[in-house]
Amino acid sequence: MLNLVPSQEPFDDVDADADATVEAASTLLQRVAMGDQRAFSELYDIIAPRMLGLVRHVLRDHAQSEEVVQEVLLEIWQTAPRFDPNKGKAVTWMLTMTHRRAIDRVRSAQSSRDRDVKIGHRERDREYDSVAENVEIRLEHDRVEKALGRLTELQRQAVELSYYGGYSQSEVSEMLGIPMGTVKTRLRDGMMRLREELGVAS
Amino acid sequence: MRSIDDDAMNDEEFADVRAALGLAATPVTPSTGLKNRVMSAIAMTPQVAPGPRAETPPGATDSTAVAAPGAATTLAQARWFSHPATIMASAVAAVALFFGGVLAADLIVPRSPSEAERLATIVAAPDVSTVVSAVAGGGTATLVASDSVGLSAMVFEGLEPLSTDERYALWYITDGVPTAAGLFAVEDAGVVVHVLDGAFEAGTTVGVTIEPASGSVTPTSDPIVAIATA
Repeated sequence: MLNLVPSQEPFDDVDADADATVEAASTLLQRVAMGDQRAFSELYDIIAPRMLGLVRHVLRDHAQSEEVVQEVLLEIWQTAPRFDPNKGKAVTWMLTMTHRRAIDRVRSAQSSRDRDVKIGHRERDREYDSVAENVEIRLEHDRVEKALGRLTELQRQAVELSYYGGYSQSEVSEMLGIPMGTVKTRLRDGMMRLREELGVAS
Repeated sequence: MRSIDDDAMNDEEFADVRAALGLAATPVTPSTGLKNRVMSAIAMTPQVAPGPRAETPPGATDSTAVAAPGAATTLAQARWFSHPATIMASAVAAVALFFGGVLAADLIVPRSPSEAERLATIVAAPDVSTVVSAVAGGGTATLVASDSVGLSAMVFEGLEPLSTDERYALWYITDGVPTAAGLFAVEDAGVVVHVLDGAFEAGTTVGVTIEPASGSVTPTSDPIVAIATA
């Protein structure tokens, strides 16, 4: 899967790039909210590769991932007038929708079956390792990488499998062979720790 | 959907953490077709009304917003405007009138990839304008046009199917001279979109008549809709 990923030259300065994305997306989304299709075109250019990167990370299938991104982009267009910049960042709003749709898709019947087959073909540990490895390699944001590195092993596993893997808590519990309650607490602890490390507003 | 109780991954308080994790995924360049599909779809998809938040004054429009003001009504030629069903056009949010909240992506299938591409080009143009008008005999027509791109498209909703020996004919009327811009039939009263043949330029009127299936050199009947541009 990694060898399908285009080179990263447009994202050399990752921190600055991510910040610029956040800024630009916010301005553009407010224009989109007024029906500005030109602004939507510009917003697409900066956010669609981010959305697709995230969705494909979860879904793995490129064509399905593009379908999901298309659906989410339409939803963004339709509901942009309801976005309230006082309640959060534009990027957060868009990526939240994106992630939710990706998870919905991965858990839908067809996808689950494909996924189960994929998982069934591998050792559980190897599956986990590949997820972790992808996460490590794909982390373009140093802050996030560092923050993840400060979690305990179990917290990090829970966060990565849950967020990037799109696995439910019970699936994570099964994959890691630890009780459901432990997954819940590790996940919550991990997210709280990340929030502190990243210094993002709650 | 399954219960998400007590799942920190769905907890609102971690939304920004999740966004940071999302931004950390390596970006992937979408296929070129995706942007075309998305831009075509949004052109036909209405937006929801703004919610309770009140910072945006009603009617406030960015200078680059969809519908260029003044695109609507210039009475150019008597024949094209004496008809009772011509322009009742108001430019803003025209397309939104159509679909009653139904996702247009499911309704509008451009007839060919090249048509989708041309439609996307029009919609993405900085000077795109949108004008809606009623159609005599029922339905609505929306003109989506760009002078800089030199193309226009008409989106019809609720056009009556014609007899087999008749077609709807699209016309550009410039300085009173009509130029044929395509023929089409509709199978049911749903939504159809047609990119007009030939070049669009600002000031041109776009009209539709019903003509013999073989087409006509000039309109042989009164227009069922005519939309002037500024």
